Amino acid sequence: MTVASDGGVPSGPAAGSSSGLVKRFGRALPALPGLAVLLFLFLVPMAIMFVFSFWRTNNDFVVVPEWNLGNYARFFVEGTYLRTFIKTLIMAGLVTVAALAIGLPFAYFLVRYTGKLTQRVILLAVIVPFWTSYLVRVYAWQAILGEHGALNQILQAIGVIKVPLDIFNYDDPGVFVVLTYIYFPFALLALYASLEKFDFTQLNAAQDLGARPDQAFRHILLPQIRAGIITACIFVFIPILGEFLTPTLVGGAQSSLIANLVLNFLRNDQFAEGAALAIIIAAFVTAIMIVFRKSFRVEDVVTSG
Amino acid sequence: MARGTSPLETMPVSRFARQTRWSLIVLTGAMLAFLYLPIAFLILFSFEDAATPGLPITGLTLHWYQVLASDSAIQSALLTSIEVAVVVTIIASIVGTMVAFPLVRRGVRAPGLLRLGFTLPIMIPGFLIGIGLLIFFRQGLHPLIDVQLGLYTVVAGHLVFTIPFVVLIVASRLQGFDRRLEWAAADLGAGPWRTLRHIVLPLIAPAILAGALLCVTLSIDEFVITFFLIGPQQTLPLYIYTQIKFGVTPEVNAIATVILLVSLLAVTLGSILLTSSRRLRRRRAE
Repeated sequence: MTVASDGGVPSGPAAGSSSGLVKRFGRALPALPGLAVLLFLFLVPMAIMFVFSFWRTNNDFVVVPEWNLGNYARFFVEGTYLRTFIKTLIMAGLVTVAALAIGLPFAYFLVRYTGKLTQRVILLAVIVPFWTSYLVRVYAWQAILGEHGALNQILQAIGVIKVPLDIFNYDDPGVFVVLTYIYFPFALLALYASLEKFDFTQLNAAQDLGARPDQAFRHILLPQIRAGIITACIFVFIPILGEFLTPTLVGGAQSSLIANLVLNFLRNDQFAEGAALAIIIAAFVTAIMIVFRKSFRVEDVVTSG
Repeated sequence: MARGTSPLETMPVSRFARQTRWSLIVLTGAMLAFLYLPIAFLILFSFEDAATPGLPITGLTLHWYQVLASDSAIQSALLTSIEVAVVVTIIASIVGTMVAFPLVRRGVRAPGLLRLGFTLPIMIPGFLIGIGLLIFFRQGLHPLIDVQLGLYTVVAGHLVFTIPFVVLIVASRLQGFDRRLEWAAADLGAGPWRTLRHIVLPLIAPAILAGALLCVTLSIDEFVITFFLIGPQQTLPLYIYTQIKFGVTPEVNAIATVILLVSLLAVTLGSILLTSSRRLRRRRAE
């Protein structure tokens, strides 16, 4: 065991050293209740879901241990599932791009052009609604979108449009806007955290040495905030793979995302079939997190509030 | 050229600086409007006297708030939510703080793995946590015990994602903790418990409190996991959801407004607590 320092402070007498198993266990002891929760209420259920995805739901809606791949085969054979899954990925991708397009200039502005106090106030203004009721924030859009929604009404009243615009109907564009609304603060927080650490004099140095602003941006700034950008993408992309509320509240008949299809299985007590679809989503989430494990920092988003 | 000084001094060399600055200001304004307009509309509609909320506003009324005050279904849903939140917050704050110590102070063999383990429930969509637990309770445990969905299962579900938040918040405070204070206490004859009680806990208390506040808001607002694990009783978000699904009454706008304002308050308070503790630590470090 390496005797590393705790946050810059030299390790004291109590830290480090192989002082026997008992002492070590004693120090790990406080983690046990938390580990128990993690194990029994998270890892075990996930493992059971994984196993069930290879079993079968019988006619009494009980999952029985008859191993098969039928639940997964359905995903590839019946077009709806694959189509909806791809649609979900595209939607998540578009929202991620939008969140970056909004978040990056916004974070840049905060760090570069505002004083510490303004920065804090604006950041707080962004963070605060994002910690408040997710359901209520999605619901708030119901009155804004729609044929007779506030957006159409206002635009008609000030004479910008004559007839209600279809684009504001309860449909995919609406789902896109609401998802962007819900998730872009994640991106902002991650980007802000990485931009805040960046030393902007480097940009001036690069330009003094003859780099054009866009070159300085690409070769100096971008590589250094890469982790922040990846964190931002992950924090926007992943939750959308599990989105079912937004399509339900502000989407149309065709706006279902993959999570809505899982929900349909569960409504019919088809747990094995639902488990398989959920495992496909989980596999995607896990793959993303493994690929980018070195680059994303949860703490930046969680504790910067 | 230090950051945080006057805007003029931090101007980049680019001759487009001025335009950049203005377009960024406009963008920021637009973004804040995007963030707050839906909330503003929601609040506005909660005072509207029409039976179907929307523009144009025909008149203002406090009627929906009066309906709210006398609606027993909402009140019992609110009580249920508070009940769940209190239990979740107490357990999560204690358990989460306990995990943070070995995590930061190398009491475990693989702190990286432990950290990852407690990061997962935050990263994984609540949807998957909810489904996993639903299948676990309804079918996985079925051969052993017959679990009825209800408030216990909801509490279990909330613990899965609130504990990690407490762990991360307390751990990040504990990371910068000056351990010399503890050694000084030990030198002066204090035992480990006394040191913990009188030195460590008071110093990390703001972080624990911030974590607890976060737990309260997260639990009270939680919809997705509760959606899967709730039994016959309803929490407030679930009640609102059913109201929305079965026809909007303006009453929903009123209750949504109340929830929004209360959680705005709690989060602002928590955030201020968190930064003040951070600032305190920074000052101490200097």
